[in-house]
Amino acid sequence: MKNGTIISIDKLIKQFPVGKSKFTALNGLTLNIERGEFMGLVGPSGSGKTTLLNIIGSLDTPSMGTVTVLDQSISSLSHKQSSRLRNRHIGFIFQTYNLLPVYTVYENVEFALLLQKLSASARKKAVMDALEWVGLTDKIKSKPAMLSGGECQRVAIARSMVKRPDIVLADEPTANLDSKNSHHILQTMKKLNKELNTTFIFATHDEKVMQYLNRKVSLEDGQIVKDEVIENSKN
Amino acid sequence: MIRFLLKGILRDRSRSLLPVIVVALGVFLTVFMSGWFQGIMGDMIDMTARFSSGHVKIMTRAYAENSDQAPLDLALLDVAELTGQLNEEYPDMEWVSRIRSGGLLDVPDENGETRGQGPAMVTAIDLVSPDSKEVDRLNLSDAIVKGELPDQLGETLISNDFAEKFEVSVGDKVTLFGSTMYGSMMFYTFTVSGTIRFGNTLLDRGAIFIDIKDAQLAMDMEDGATEILGYFKNQPYIDEEAMALATSYNEKYSLEEDEFSPKMIRLAEAAGMADYLAIAENMVSMMVFIFIIAMSIVLWNTGLLGGLRRYSEFGVRLALGEEKKHIYRTTLLEALLIGIIGSTVGTIFGLALSYRLQAHGIDFSGMMDNLGVMMPTVFRAVVTPSMYVVGFIPGVLATVFGSALAGYAIYKRKTARLFHELEV
Ligand SMILES: Nc1ncnc2c1ncn2[C@@H]1O[C@H](COP(=O)(O)OP(=O)(O)O)[C@@H](O)[C@H]1O
Ligand SMILES: [Mg+2]
Repeated sequence: MKNGTIISIDKLIKQFPVGKSKFTALNGLTLNIERGEFMGLVGPSGSGKTTLLNIIGSLDTPSMGTVTVLDQSISSLSHKQSSRLRNRHIGFIFQTYNLLPVYTVYENVEFALLLQKLSASARKKAVMDALEWVGLTDKIKSKPAMLSGGECQRVAIARSMVKRPDIVLADEPTANLDSKNSHHILQTMKKLNKELNTTFIFATHDEKVMQYLNRKVSLEDGQIVKDEVIENSKN
Repeated sequence: MIRFLLKGILRDRSRSLLPVIVVALGVFLTVFMSGWFQGIMGDMIDMTARFSSGHVKIMTRAYAENSDQAPLDLALLDVAELTGQLNEEYPDMEWVSRIRSGGLLDVPDENGETRGQGPAMVTAIDLVSPDSKEVDRLNLSDAIVKGELPDQLGETLISNDFAEKFEVSVGDKVTLFGSTMYGSMMFYTFTVSGTIRFGNTLLDRGAIFIDIKDAQLAMDMEDGATEILGYFKNQPYIDEEAMALATSYNEKYSLEEDEFSPKMIRLAEAAGMADYLAIAENMVSMMVFIFIIAMSIVLWNTGLLGGLRRYSEFGVRLALGEEKKHIYRTTLLEALLIGIIGSTVGTIFGLALSYRLQAHGIDFSGMMDNLGVMMPTVFRAVVTPSMYVVGFIPGVLATVFGSALAGYAIYKRKTARLFHELEV
């Protein structure tokens, strides 16, 4: 699989209007991310991690500077184009799982594929594969309310992975999980990272997550204060 | 996608049940009220047509001017010829002549002295001829309390209230006092063959039914009648047709300079009927209008609440790459499904109740004694084709409209903002 720069961020500034003035959440970030990285944005709460993930995921736009994801400049995308980028190439994992409560495990994962024109059998195979990656094939008919937090997050991982995206953005994925479950899902994601060469970007301040990262970019007040490669991280 | 949404609606009761109930209830009420109201109005109109106005009614121009005084001297003459002409020219109508008049009904004792006396409202119709349709038209058989229908001239049906008040029994003789067409004194003795009660003061007060031949003889009006009523043979009253008929007839026969020339008046022109007809038409559309507004507001609110509760769902769907537009459209589609389900349920129940009340009316005669308007005492609904849509379409529209309003707030928001709200 070919490697190379998948995301490049240049002098990114993001400001939010606060009353009449502006609050600068990201202050001149420059950063390149290679395909297949398993990297994390770490830093205290309020340092701008989520804001950066949202811009990479084209849910938000830069105020200044450029962000290029898969050769597409985020600030120039129309609503339709950014939807398409997310739909085809980006998966999201949230702190609070955000599964749809009325649907089963199977349907929650299938939901991610509904916008793509797939045959029913291709869709079924993709969903079953994704559930197998996360080890939940025996729970396909369960509703989220019947699952543990760890299981819910594994469904969310399956949902983000089912369309085999190039990039998965995971915002504090372990914040609501105990240590055992945290390690379990991290191992799952690391395995997928290796097998499918999916790029994973975490926003976290959880030490457990950091043990698995190959690269750690530390943010403080919207600026990069440290960018380190970690050689023998946990698997 | 639709399958997915439908599953969601069916499973998430809290999201769908309230709107479905609201829509179903509103649609049910609209359908039922519309059937009930049309039924009552229809019966009122029908009753007026049978008892007083016909679908059309011919009088002399002068009589028409003063018809509330029932002035016998202004009655129509040469009725046989007139009716023959009408039958020939308008074969789709049935023409009947009647005489209405006021008088005094006198009950003699065994010595022929007056034992009791009361005002009489005389209606003279074709009562005894075997092929008469008037008996059925006025529903006289059902109105009989004691005795039976007259089967020969000289017999009469009198109001049961009157009979009870003056202790008149079937077979007794009563004398009708009044005036002839030419203003001289008239009295004529009848044998009471039965007593009647309609349950409506307008009809019951002093009512006496006699045969028109007796009346013509007694009132000295050979071949005369105060009015000729026309009824559509194969259809209910239709105002446009009655209007066309009356216009053509009046152009031909009604002469402005001759006050004794005939004039045709349609049901809608008869006293008060125009108002009734207008109410009957407007009431339903007014009800539907109010219903749409009320439903939309309720559904807007439930839609808003539903939308707020589903923020995280919308956020996830945005993240999965669904377009805002598509999310909005699917919420409308959901509303459409809910609207269809609710409206179907409401229409079914509304029609079912209306059918029931069409077959078995509710008898209000106990509560409506001394009713002063021409109104049946048994209220029936009627099921018309319009009722299949009168509730259904507004129900669906209101649901979609309500959600469109609710969803628009979401649609307008910027993706980032929406997504940010999801995370809290
Ligand atoms: N939509 C917004 N409007 C105003 N301020 C915001 C908005 N989003 C984030 N911020 C602010 O930007 C800063 C960075 O937020 P965030 O990226 O969520 O930090 P982190 O994820 O690292 O905790 C915070 O101070 C936050 O209050
Ligand atoms: Mg955050």
